[in-house]
Amino acid sequence: MTTYKFLPDVERCIRCGGCEVACKQENNVPIGMRRIRVVTVNEGKTGEMNVPMACMHCTDPACLKACPAKAIYKREDGIVLVDKDKCVGCGYCAYACPFGAPQFHHGEGLFSFKGTMDKCTYCVLPYEGGAEKAPEPKCAAFCATKALLAGDADEISATYRQRAAMRLQKGEIPGE
Amino acid sequence: MATKLESTFSDVKMTRRTFAKTTAALGAVAALGSGYASATKFTDKIIEEVTASPSPTTKRTKSFCSFCSVGCGYIGVTEDGVFTKMEPWTDAPTNRGGMCSKGAALANVTNSPRRLKYPMEKVGGKWKRITWDEALTKISSKLNSTRDTYGPDSVFFCGLVHGSNEECYMFRKFGMLFGTNNIDHQARLCHSTTVAGLLNTFGHGAMTGTPISLQHSKCHFFFGSNAAEAHPVLMQKIFEAKDRGAKIVVADPRFTRTAAKADLYVRFRPGSDIAFILGLINVIIENGWQDQEYIDNRTYGFEYVKEVVKDYTPEVVEGITWVPAAQIREVARIISENRPSNILWSMGVTQHSVGTQIVRACALLQCILGNQGKWGGGCMPVRGHCNVQGATDMCVLSHFLPGYYGVTSEGSWNWYAQCFSDTPSTSGKITFDELKARFATYNGESMMTKIGFTVSRWYEGVLKPEAEIDQPHNIKVAVLWGMGMSSITEMIKQKEAMEKLDMIVVVDPFPSVAAALADRADGIIVLPAATRQEGGGSLSTTGREILWRDVVVPPLYESKTDMWIFQELAKKLGFGAHFDYKNIEDVTREINLAVRPIGWQGQTPERLKKQKENAHTFDPWDGRAKGGPCNGEYWGLPWPCWTTDHPGTPVLYCDEAPVMEGGHDFRANRKTDEGEEIVRGNLPPAGTGGTIHWTYNYAKDPTGEVNKQAVAEGNPPTGRGRAMLRVQAKWTDRVPKHREPIESPEPDLVAKYPTYEDKRLYRVMTEFKTEQDRSIAEGRHTKYPIILSSGRQVEHHGAGAQTRNSEYLVEIQPEMYVEINPKLANDIGVKHWDMVWVESARGRCKVRAYVTERVNEKTAFMPYHWAGVFQGEDYGDRYPDGAKDLARGDSVNIIASPGYDEQTQMQETKVALCKVYKA
Repeated sequence: MTTYKFLPDVERCIRCGGCEVACKQENNVPIGMRRIRVVTVNEGKTGEMNVPMACMHCTDPACLKACPAKAIYKREDGIVLVDKDKCVGCGYCAYACPFGAPQFHHGEGLFSFKGTMDKCTYCVLPYEGGAEKAPEPKCAAFCATKALLAGDADEISATYRQRAAMRLQKGEIPGE
Repeated sequence: MATKLESTFSDVKMTRRTFAKTTAALGAVAALGSGYASATKFTDKIIEEVTASPSPTTKRTKSFCSFCSVGCGYIGVTEDGVFTKMEPWTDAPTNRGGMCSKGAALANVTNSPRRLKYPMEKVGGKWKRITWDEALTKISSKLNSTRDTYGPDSVFFCGLVHGSNEECYMFRKFGMLFGTNNIDHQARLCHSTTVAGLLNTFGHGAMTGTPISLQHSKCHFFFGSNAAEAHPVLMQKIFEAKDRGAKIVVADPRFTRTAAKADLYVRFRPGSDIAFILGLINVIIENGWQDQEYIDNRTYGFEYVKEVVKDYTPEVVEGITWVPAAQIREVARIISENRPSNILWSMGVTQHSVGTQIVRACALLQCILGNQGKWGGGCMPVRGHCNVQGATDMCVLSHFLPGYYGVTSEGSWNWYAQCFSDTPSTSGKITFDELKARFATYNGESMMTKIGFTVSRWYEGVLKPEAEIDQPHNIKVAVLWGMGMSSITEMIKQKEAMEKLDMIVVVDPFPSVAAALADRADGIIVLPAATRQEGGGSLSTTGREILWRDVVVPPLYESKTDMWIFQELAKKLGFGAHFDYKNIEDVTREINLAVRPIGWQGQTPERLKKQKENAHTFDPWDGRAKGGPCNGEYWGLPWPCWTTDHPGTPVLYCDEAPVMEGGHDFRANRKTDEGEEIVRGNLPPAGTGGTIHWTYNYAKDPTGEVNKQAVAEGNPPTGRGRAMLRVQAKWTDRVPKHREPIESPEPDLVAKYPTYEDKRLYRVMTEFKTEQDRSIAEGRHTKYPIILSSGRQVEHHGAGAQTRNSEYLVEIQPEMYVEINPKLANDIGVKHWDMVWVESARGRCKVRAYVTERVNEKTAFMPYHWAGVFQGEDYGDRYPDGAKDLARGDSVNIIASPGYDEQTQMQETKVALCKVYKA
């Protein structure tokens, strides 16, 4: 059974924004909404680091537990989704989420507030309407430096482990 | 932080264009196959999925990004003829699917509703729609009447860096047949100094490796390159090496996003680059870390270098660069201990009044370490636009003809008269005398062999009195072809020039300030050009790789490809027979025939297309096809590619492989002023050819037989020479030495290290010493205490005309700003995101303050992609109707330095003096 996850290899993230634009294009996400956002900490100083922040599709999602409307559900393959018809827009999920993933569209003016929660769907659902698609997150596919890893949890950890091993053995170039 | 949408000068309220979206799910995911496991299988798709369209109305086209020069492949998806989205092309050997924000926004840019939709003319202060035929008739009759009245040099052709190789070649040919060398493009502003510096040192003026070859390095030394923002996908290759243990050293006046990834970061004073490099060489020689065997056999002039650098001890260099001596020693140690190390640069090195000499210093460093010509080592000037390497090779330049044949030699023109007549691609015939007759005669000499004006100082040809310019009359008409005018300095003078011209012709998908800068009611014609997604042909990446683009979507609205516009204009001007190509491949074949000095013979349209279809057979580790239809070829057939069965040369001057396996050497056939032949000392490995001190007579051999003979003998047709660490006596500095920038904050250093004497260059006087002395006499170093540099943002490109019209990119990066240090901000009473004025001796800009420690207290930084606001005034209402830039901002090139390079007229954007105060 596949379990889909993300793993940002922050050593490689340069905040080029490719993931953010790829997400917008693929999912028709409106201006002002960010399903994924690269956040820089310690900007301009030693220790500067970029972290791509989106829904991590947690195994035990805090948002799901916090939701009073039972709008949030987890699929068998690990992807966490929100049923916008059930969502009441209370924002408890945003309090509960450790990553700041849940987003609420403001629209323009007081009465255009839409209120329902939107977040990364692992590219299975666009922002509005549309049938479910195969889980192929474009943020990771377009990642310029291959920093953002996506796919089955086992495969991600194997890839990351290989990189970590290479980082351990310094100075040797394979094949030489 | 700069992400607020309440933007002062941006029209960001828009509804997103919606297109029919496909819901067809793609099939299962396939394995990557090779052991090259840096990404998950999940993100890699198999080639079959690319070619098998899920529905008859959906088309997938493999193409290459049209922003920077890394050469990233993508799959453009059209549904019912609309370019709806992009998909990752994970087999593309360089980027393997990766795209930065700009690249990922290509469909969004192409579909921008703010593109120019039809030809327009400004009449009586209003923009009026006209037909293509009206527009071309008006333009051609104006060009002809200007030619008849003032001579062909009164027209200035400018731009086309985003054209295909074929269209760039056509542009230069167009200039030749029109009869002027007043034709130049953006490379003048980005890497002209790289070309001059490397060409004269090594033999070719280009990056000596490919992006793929960077993976083989053990140390990346970023010197004036912020690749993480300017060339994001290049960082993929850097990290591949880093994961294998390579070190990263970044020396930059600004703590960039690239610096954030460094093992060692060094901050130095803008404009002290040469001193810094000479300091490194000093330490290397002091410690005996140089590769003496390499130096003895493959270089000339080391003794002279040794003599010069002995004055640049780390302690002396500390006084010039503000870098502690211990840090200079540390950098020298790291780049020496981790070989092959390379040096990567971009505008940080090139855009200086001593740009060519900084490049030379970098080249010297690589030779002394023995890195030059090794996989992973060498000089890596990373170029800025998708085809700026190609536009340079096709020489849309006022001093070269396509393939770097110098304009000052009649032989070059003879060769092209022959090629234009002999090419089977067109029906036209022309003799040398007929070609010469198309040029003016001035002071009894033909203008054919006179170097023309440059992009950086074209306006002087309009503004200076006729007695002060080296041509019969002022420039009267400017043809601005895909040229973002805000990337050129002295914008106040440019604006004045654009108001004085008889006519401005703008050819661009997004005309931007080329159409909006001049305060004039009449005399501007704008033509909607197709984007690169809408036209075919080849491009050359920064690593000299030639890639073939197919048309993703036909030109939108009434826009036309550059090729079509050249053909139609040539017809109207009477030399259409030289442009009657049936298709773009015909032009490629003419390039194969004519462009010989750099080895453009093997890159036939058929081979380039075959590579594209078989991209998955190329090993991403070395870029070489293992088996399959392209077996043995390197990705992109990097020039020189001498014959149609040559694999291309990924690493220049690498003598470790036979020439037919991509081996190469420094150019021979060069002599020192003392008459010494620049011939290499030792033999390359057995079977790869002997030492020869001549170059084969290959550059004007239309048959290609000489190339075949040379490679059969195991030699590159350019011979086997040496790198010239010391250049000929015609150069002011035969070995680089430090000279202060034109606007220096240090009068004492100016006295010790003054700039050059004033010099006539490219048809006009350039003030070096006069301007430097003026700066000190006016006390600019006290009136303007902050050093200003400019550079790139990852979300925007060039002058920004494309990217500032993409809502996705504007959302991330909506406004122009100046980066200032918190201390400076507090001293002048400014908070983050307040509006400030940045003022220099030229003028001032009104922008946001971005308070950050990226810059130190003495420096400020501004991105250069912004235009549409001029000294605080929004020019939004001057744009052609419907083509107003979505996001506009003030331009740093209003206030940048008036310095220019001594060899190439490169503008000095990296060092100007300014002050910042609250608006």
